[in-house]
Amino acid sequence: MSLIENLKSYSEGIKISSNKNQLLNSFFEKGFPTIQDEEWKYTSLKKLISEDYSIEKNGSPLSHLDISNHSLGFKNKIVFSDGKLISTPKIEGITFSDFSDFECSTSDPFLQLNSALANNGFTIKVDSNTIVDGVIEILFFTTTENSFNQYRNQIIIKDNAEVKFVEKIQNLGSSTSFVNHFTQIDCGKNTNVEYNKIQNNTEKSKLIDTMNIFQKEDSTCNINTLIFGGSFTRNNLNFEQNGSNCESNMNGVSILDKNQLADNHTFVDHKQPHCTSNEMYKGVYLGNSKGVFNGKIMVRQDAQKIDAFQSNNNLLLSENSTIDSKPQLEIYADDVKCSHGCTIGQLDEDALFYMRSRGIGITEAKAVLTYAFASEAIENISILEVKLLAQKLLAKKLNVDLDFSV
Amino acid sequence: MLKIKDLKAGIEDNQILNGINLEVNTGEVHAIMGPNGSGKSTLAAVIAGKDEYEVVGGSIDFEGEDLLELAPEERAHKGVFLSFQYPVEIPGISVSNFIKTSITEQRKAKGMKPMPTKDLLKMMREKMELLNIKNGYLSRNMNEGFSGGEKKRNEIFQMAMLEPRLSILDETDSGLDIDALRIVANGVNKLKCKDNATVVITHYQRLLDYIVPDFVHVLYNGRIIKSGGKELAHELDQKGYDWITKEADNQ
Repeated sequence: MSLIENLKSYSEGIKISSNKNQLLNSFFEKGFPTIQDEEWKYTSLKKLISEDYSIEKNGSPLSHLDISNHSLGFKNKIVFSDGKLISTPKIEGITFSDFSDFECSTSDPFLQLNSALANNGFTIKVDSNTIVDGVIEILFFTTTENSFNQYRNQIIIKDNAEVKFVEKIQNLGSSTSFVNHFTQIDCGKNTNVEYNKIQNNTEKSKLIDTMNIFQKEDSTCNINTLIFGGSFTRNNLNFEQNGSNCESNMNGVSILDKNQLADNHTFVDHKQPHCTSNEMYKGVYLGNSKGVFNGKIMVRQDAQKIDAFQSNNNLLLSENSTIDSKPQLEIYADDVKCSHGCTIGQLDEDALFYMRSRGIGITEAKAVLTYAFASEAIENISILEVKLLAQKLLAKKLNVDLDFSV
Repeated sequence: MLKIKDLKAGIEDNQILNGINLEVNTGEVHAIMGPNGSGKSTLAAVIAGKDEYEVVGGSIDFEGEDLLELAPEERAHKGVFLSFQYPVEIPGISVSNFIKTSITEQRKAKGMKPMPTKDLLKMMREKMELLNIKNGYLSRNMNEGFSGGEKKRNEIFQMAMLEPRLSILDETDSGLDIDALRIVANGVNKLKCKDNATVVITHYQRLLDYIVPDFVHVLYNGRIIKSGGKELAHELDQKGYDWITKEADNQ
């Protein structure tokens, strides 16, 4: 069976509201997007959706070791296992709860599917003026074979609060797993949020991750996306600035090899004046890997004095790797600063020789230069543990025993 | 230490070195001078192992080993160091990280463990003092935004850290003001000992007032057309190159 047939038979066995049914029918009518669809032009889902999946199946219990092996070691953890929330931390000023439904209007087929059928996820409410000490780690584990899971999460951050997250989706089996993940973040006035996604899943794992962020005035939101693992990753990162003086920052690092594919779609909707957005995506491609970047920036008529910056830099380190990069700027205000840049290149031969002449072997020299290339984005991460992990994973991916942390 | 015999090399179809013979022993300082385009930098690059140059004849023996058979990093492990005429900017890598990686890799090649960070930092501080380098320098990105003088000083700093057996300074003096030149020359002199050797490639005699050579060679059209003591450099400074090159052209 294919995924759509799996989903049909799954949905026949459960009861959902008429609203959801409508969404589901609309999804089934259109089906999954194809490369004819502008938003999916460079990323084919064909193979992915032709496989057979078990939808939201219960798995085996997690051990402490499973968790500690994949955790970055933060004390405060939210842990999911095959959809089920199994642990939440206790932090003053924050309420953690299980899935609670919330609406979002959408024409995106994966979000429609998520809205209609997802019944797992978390809700986090951060009270106003709460400054969270440390980092909240969110771990999603899959233990079942050929699984398809959906999560629907909501984070509500009340005014003046400050909080940091690290998220990891981890398949513990060797077979395929497919996660359709959706998170909405509501940033209150004058809030400060950092959310780090470590996408280093196993070789056969697939992920569609959509994050919608709604910002009120004076809020700052930083999203860092680090892609090392997984066979297929599509990130949709959407910001909506609904107040003045908002700051939206995105950093992305993708380091791919073999037949990996990673597609980062970002969208910043500047609706109010005096806001900034800052986007830096770095991609390194080895083997037969493929990268896609699509960065859309919309500056609406009222959004004067906007400063929007976007860059997408790519290193193609093999003959067969590819990158499709597309900046998309729509500007309707007249007093704005918008800049974007996209580069595709190889490692600098002069720099390689320079390093080799200092005794650094060619593999290591390439790794150092690759790290140097990606470091600008990695350096923007405020959490030391995440930064160190990124450095470690980069060294591992490039097959060198080097420590970049000096 | 270094024996270059009848070395012929070039880039693509263009032969630049037309039979170089040069012998450098430990404890010696050699100066290679010559007009623009004579092949000075090519010689330096060929010794260091830059792949775009093709060696078509001759040999380079370094302490009994065929240098031309070795990769650039292996040459560095043997103790060959090139101070670049145009040091490369590497954004994203700090000076300290670069040097640490370089020292770690060189030690690894010799089967040694990485130097403890404390010792490494101590050594860096000592060498910085030697070269009048200010604090804050180590965390700057490698050569990025450095002035010409800072770049050259950074080359000598790396040389001081790596303690090579044979240092080739390719136009380390060009573009330096007199103060920077003195600092660089002073650093080179302090690093000199009976076990290492230095080859100074330069255009100007001025540097040789500060780094006094034992031998001076004039390179022209890819050949060493004259060798002598330090007085040859003075003669070149006064008379220019014409009197020697004409002689060579006539032959």
